[in-house]
Amino acid sequence: MTDERDVVIEAVRGTLRASVADEADPRAVARILSAAWAAPAPSRWRRWLDAWHLPVVSRVGAAVVAVIALAAGFVARGVLPNRAVAEPMAVTGEFPVPVVPASDPRSSAVSTQFVFEAPAAQSVALVGDFNAWVPTAAPLVRLPSGVWTVTVPLMPGRHVYAFLVDGARLEADPRASAAADADYGRPSSVVMVPGR
Amino acid sequence: MSSPPTSSPIDPSLPLRAKGGDRQAFAQLVELCYPRSLRFALHMVGNREDAEEAVQDTFVRVYHHLGRFRDDGRFEPWLFRILANRCRTVLDKRRRHAEVIQYGDVPDRGAPTVVDGPDWMEEIHKVLATLPVEQREAFLLRHVEELAYEEISAVTGVRLSALRMRVKRACDVLRMRLAEVRRDDR
Repeated sequence: MTDERDVVIEAVRGTLRASVADEADPRAVARILSAAWAAPAPSRWRRWLDAWHLPVVSRVGAAVVAVIALAAGFVARGVLPNRAVAEPMAVTGEFPVPVVPASDPRSSAVSTQFVFEAPAAQSVALVGDFNAWVPTAAPLVRLPSGVWTVTVPLMPGRHVYAFLVDGARLEADPRASAAADADYGRPSSVVMVPGR
Repeated sequence: MSSPPTSSPIDPSLPLRAKGGDRQAFAQLVELCYPRSLRFALHMVGNREDAEEAVQDTFVRVYHHLGRFRDDGRFEPWLFRILANRCRTVLDKRRRHAEVIQYGDVPDRGAPTVVDGPDWMEEIHKVLATLPVEQREAFLLRHVEELAYEEISAVTGVRLSALRMRVKRACDVLRMRLAEVRRDDR
């Protein structure tokens, strides 16, 4: 590749390359997707600022850009529409939104992520005492790995829940404790949500 | 031993589909790019918590700025450009707070076995931590992520000749310091 490589550099390269697993952690991916889809799109002003921040030019170039941007900002503020701003991203609406609308920030609800592995499932929904076991209240979104995920705001305390697979089959969460008091013998699990 | 791939495995239509609003395509992009992104961030900032934060922040920004992604562009250099900036922000923030950089949190959970043992990894991170950020960044992008110099130039905005010099200096330091470690181990 390059002439600066040698035994030591090869060893460093091999060690660093092998330091991270080659498979993405589904929980980390789910967290990222939840954050991306839940976060409000940046304001037009923020996008305009980011447009200057994203490409890193040389230090001199950055200074020149900053001065021009500052000057342009003073001149154009309130006068010119910001045509450089990209339109907000279209959302098809055909894909289930994985994050239940954020709770009132003043409440003590805690965002809680649920993950369920079901590569063959066509749909998975989270049902529990917090949503009156309504199948449509919290659909999970499928990641390419076959892992399904959703994040919901839950009040602190003990909650009983299950996953409704393909609209027909209730399954307990294999990662969680089974509920001892499952009604009518239906499989369910328990999540303890700590207070803030 | 397997490790996150360096050559782009990304179907060029994926970012375009994500740009068009296809959330499945975006999910696939995250899943494909996460290992390399985490690896780069880990070696840049030196601890897993900050690295994960930088990676998450990067993908959130990518999602909200997909409209700016050029249809004829390569996704990974664009991603690394944003990620490198996030890592620099993390490092700047840390410097402002005068916190001590602790290398040694890596390798992360679930990492494959390290060929030369944890001490070797620790030594590498000690030396990496002594490199100026721009040299560390250039070295990692070139030798670990195996981006072409032209792509690194697009990522960092630095001229090719300056980049080559940064990589060379980083290699010189690593070679000198780590050769001593290896000699001492024998």
